Amino acid sequence: MEQNEDQLTAHSSLALIESMINKAQNRFSENGTLYLVWGWVVAICSLSHYIMLTFTDIGPKSGMVWILTWGAVVFQIYYSFKHKKQETVKTYTDEIINYVWVTFGISMALVSFIMAKLGTWTMLYAFILLFYGIPTFLSGVIMRFKPLKIGGITCWILSAISVYVQSREIILLLIPAVVIAWIIPGYSFRARIKKA
Amino acid sequence: MFKELDPILHSQLRLAVMSLLISVKEAEFTFIREKTNATAGNLSVQVQKLKDAGYIEVVKQFKDNYPQTTCKVTPEGIKAFEDYVKALQEYLKV
Repeated sequence: MEQNEDQLTAHSSLALIESMINKAQNRFSENGTLYLVWGWVVAICSLSHYIMLTFTDIGPKSGMVWILTWGAVVFQIYYSFKHKKQETVKTYTDEIINYVWVTFGISMALVSFIMAKLGTWTMLYAFILLFYGIPTFLSGVIMRFKPLKIGGITCWILSAISVYVQSREIILLLIPAVVIAWIIPGYSFRARIKKA
Repeated sequence: MFKELDPILHSQLRLAVMSLLISVKEAEFTFIREKTNATAGNLSVQVQKLKDAGYIEVVKQFKDNYPQTTCKVTPEGIKAFEDYVKALQEYLKV
């Protein structure tokens, strides 16, 4: 940047404003790490849960495999803390996206509790898929990132399909959901960062 | 009759800093320096001028034992920036 007292014309002032706003807005802080962690954890838990239910005599206790998600929660807390320390700028986009995911976390906890008390376990999967779609689609819209938008829509389609899969195979619907909604976008974020 | 352009904003580096800060919630001095390609000395002087005008808020603190300066645009700064852009638009008849 040149010295501060340079003569600016109206045109160059507007051009400067535009270029600086673009520099701030084009900043892409998402590197896909949390999408990948959660995507893989949910995919592994779903597959293990299904395999244990189908091919072993562990029975309902096989649901304990989901305890692995607590590991992901611990990692997320550690990662977010570390990431926050390294941040040199806070954008409104990042803040809104964070709140979208906080809303999702709270809603998921509540819906799991409500369904456990009042609903059926197959209904729980329909709601999980429905809720996966909301923050994923919204993050895609806010970041203008197509893979996430596609992922969100896929979760909603799978949520509707789950109504017709009233057997243990319903667990397997989580796998295409997280692969399309989180794992593929996660690797796309990685590729984008690498390219930049 | 054209509005007079705000002299605080009608300067290349100060306008660049304000344009950056208007787009984000808050930014560290290092981020602003990187995006504006300004020298630390020049940027410090211009940031101080914007602060004195009440257009930005500057918070100095320590992060991991290193000094950290964070800048954030104030409501007065947003108003001044909007007026400046409106005045520019009048000049250009946008």
